[in-house]
Amino acid sequence: MTSIDFQILGVGAWGPNFQNWSELSAILNGEKLEGHGIKGPKPEVIPANERRRAPLPVRLAVESSWQAVNDAGLDPAELPCVFVSGIGDTQLTDYMCTVLAADNKALSPTKFHNSVHNAAAGYWTISTGCTQAANSVAGFQESVSLAMMEALIQCQAEQRPLLISFYDAPSSEVLCELLKSDVSFAASIVIAPPSYSAARPDFSAQIRQHELKQQENRWPDLDAHQTLQSGYAKNPSAKILPLLKLLTLVESIGSDVIELPLSQQTSLRITLAQSA
Amino acid sequence: MDIRLIDYQSTTAAGINIDALAESIDSQQSGLRENDLVGCDIDTWIGRVAAVDEIDLGEWQSRNNALAALGLQQGSITENLALLKEKYSPARVGIVMGSSTASIDRTEEAYRNLNQAGRLTPLFQQRLVHNPHAPSLFVAHHTGITGPAMTINTACSSSAKVFATGARWLAQGVVDAVLVGGVDTLCLSVMYGFNSLQLISDTVCRPFDQSRNGINLGEAAGYAILMRAEDAMLDAGVALRGYGESSDAHHMSHPHPEGLGARLAIQQALKMAELGTQDIDYINLHGTASQANDLIEGKLIGSMFPKSTQVSSTKAWVGHTLGAAGITESLIAVDALRRNRVPGSLNLTTLDEQLDLSIQSDNLARPLDYVMSNSFGFGGNNCCLVFAKTGDYV
Repeated sequence: MTSIDFQILGVGAWGPNFQNWSELSAILNGEKLEGHGIKGPKPEVIPANERRRAPLPVRLAVESSWQAVNDAGLDPAELPCVFVSGIGDTQLTDYMCTVLAADNKALSPTKFHNSVHNAAAGYWTISTGCTQAANSVAGFQESVSLAMMEALIQCQAEQRPLLISFYDAPSSEVLCELLKSDVSFAASIVIAPPSYSAARPDFSAQIRQHELKQQENRWPDLDAHQTLQSGYAKNPSAKILPLLKLLTLVESIGSDVIELPLSQQTSLRITLAQSA
Repeated sequence: MDIRLIDYQSTTAAGINIDALAESIDSQQSGLRENDLVGCDIDTWIGRVAAVDEIDLGEWQSRNNALAALGLQQGSITENLALLKEKYSPARVGIVMGSSTASIDRTEEAYRNLNQAGRLTPLFQQRLVHNPHAPSLFVAHHTGITGPAMTINTACSSSAKVFATGARWLAQGVVDAVLVGGVDTLCLSVMYGFNSLQLISDTVCRPFDQSRNGINLGEAAGYAILMRAEDAMLDAGVALRGYGESSDAHHMSHPHPEGLGARLAIQQALKMAELGTQDIDYINLHGTASQANDLIEGKLIGSMFPKSTQVSSTKAWVGHTLGAAGITESLIAVDALRRNRVPGSLNLTTLDEQLDLSIQSDNLARPLDYVMSNSFGFGGNNCCLVFAKTGDYV
C-alpha cells in the first residue's frame, strides 16, 4: 500500500453562497450563508482585456487558485499546477456543436482556443507568468480523487509545493440531463511535502485496493449545511468538500479520516495526523 | 529513471499498426488524402483512419472510442494486458489516456439529431461518452482494468504528458504497470476550429519547408505499456529516460516567440536523462507546418543541438493528430531507435531559409542510442520526452 504524507498550505474557494475559503468553511461548520447572487468571479489577476474573453470555468479556476496561493504566501510563478474539471466547458461545447450543426459552420477563433480543456491552466500560467509544468486532467465523477492522487505523486516526486484547482460550472441545458452539474463550484489548494511548514498539520494519503464493486462508486456523506448538499451531489469538483471539511476539523477535533473512490477497485484514504 | 516500454502500438492514416506505419515510412508513402470527412467542405488534406467507420460500440459509440478500440486490437497490447491483470490483479494496472477531442465527435452528432424540443434523443443519452474523461472510461471498460484511470487533456501535448504521469505512478508504486495512450479523432470542431485560426493548408503539409502554408489534421490511437525496469516481464529494448513539462506563459494559441517553454521542457528532459544535447541522435519535432511553430521550434533546436543530431517532422505521413500526436510521434521515434532508421521530413524540398538544421526528406539508416520527441499545445503547454535503447530485445 502506497502512502504519501503532505500538508495543505492554502485554500481558495468560490460558489453560489461563498466567495472565499473563510465563507466556505463557515458553511462547512453548519452556518447558513445567503446566496450572493453574483454569476461568476472576476479574477483581478487576469489582465482586463483577457478577462472579458475568459469563460466562466476559467474565471472560477483562476479566482480560487489566486486565493489559494495568496493564502499559502507563495509565488504562483514558482508553482507547478494541476487543474481538473469533471465536465469541461459545456457552454462552449454547446456553442460549437450548435454552430457546427447549422449550414454556416464558421467558428469564433477565440471561442475555439478557449474550448480546450486546459484553458484554465493556460490563462493561469499566462496571467501569473508561470513557466512551470501545468497539467489539465479529467476524471468525470472521480475527478477530485484522481487529480488529488496525481498532484500528491508529483509533489512527492519533486519535493516542492504544488497548486491543485478543482472547478466545474453549470452544465449547458442540452447536456444537463446527463451531466447534472447545475451550480458553479471551485476550490483550490496548495499542497506541500510533510513538515514544510511548522504551522500546518501533516496529512497522510493512502491508495487502497478493495473488492470489485459492480455499483457506482459511493462518495462519503458530507456533514455540512444543506445549501452545499446539492452541489456536492451534482458538481464533480464539489467532491473536494469532504477534504475541506477535514481541514476545518484541524483545530477542533484533531483527527479524522475520509475515503474517496478512485476507480472500481481502488480508493484514496486521507488521514489527518494526530500531532497537529 | 528506468521505465521500460514493454509493448507499444500505433494506429494512424499511414498504418493500421506500428509495422504498417514503419512500412509507410520506409517507402515514403503518406497516409494523407484529400479531405473527404462527411459534412466538411474545407479544401485541405487529412489523415483519416478509414477502418474506424466499420466499428459500432453501441452505448459506448463515438468515433473517438471506436478508434481507441481499433488501436487496442493491434499487435499484442490486449494479450499483454491480460497477462498483467492475471499476474498483478486488474486493480494494480493503471490507465493514463491523453486526448484533446475526447468524444466531441459524438456530441456534434447528438446536436445534429436533437428532437423538436431541442433535447438529446435516446441513442445519444450517453453520459459516459459526452465528457472529457470518456477515453479512459472507455478503455477501462474495454480492457477490464480496474486501477486508477485518468485522462490528460492539455491539447496537443496531452499524450506526451501521459508518459510523465505513467512514470511517476510507477516510481511511486501505486501501480505495477500502466497503459498509457492517446486517441484523437477528426471531427468538425477541430476542422472548423483550426480553419477559423487560418492554420489549415489547402495542400499536403510541408513541415519546415520555405513554402509551407499550414497544417493537415489527422486522427490516431497509440498505446504503450510501461513498467518499472526491475518488473518488466518483456523487454522491447526501449526505456523512457527523461521527461520535461513546462508552460510558455505567453498566449493561448501562439507559441512563445523565442520558444521559452519549449527550451525549458527540453532542458528538463535532458537533465533527468543525464544527457547532453550532443547525445541525442534523433529528434521527432513537433513540426506542424504552421509558419510560427516551425520557425520558432526550428530556430530553438538549431541553437541548442549540434549538427550530429538529426531532426524531422513526421506529420506529412499522418497529419497533426492533436491529442494523439505526443504518443504517435514518440512511438515513431521509439521505432526509429529500435530499427536504427531515421525517418525523413516528408515533403521537405527547400528548408526555411532562416533555419539551419540536420534535416532532409530522405530516411537515413544509422545506429541510434537516444531519441527525443517534442510536443507543444495550446495554452502554451509543452512536453519533451527522451527514450534510450537498452540493449538486447526480443
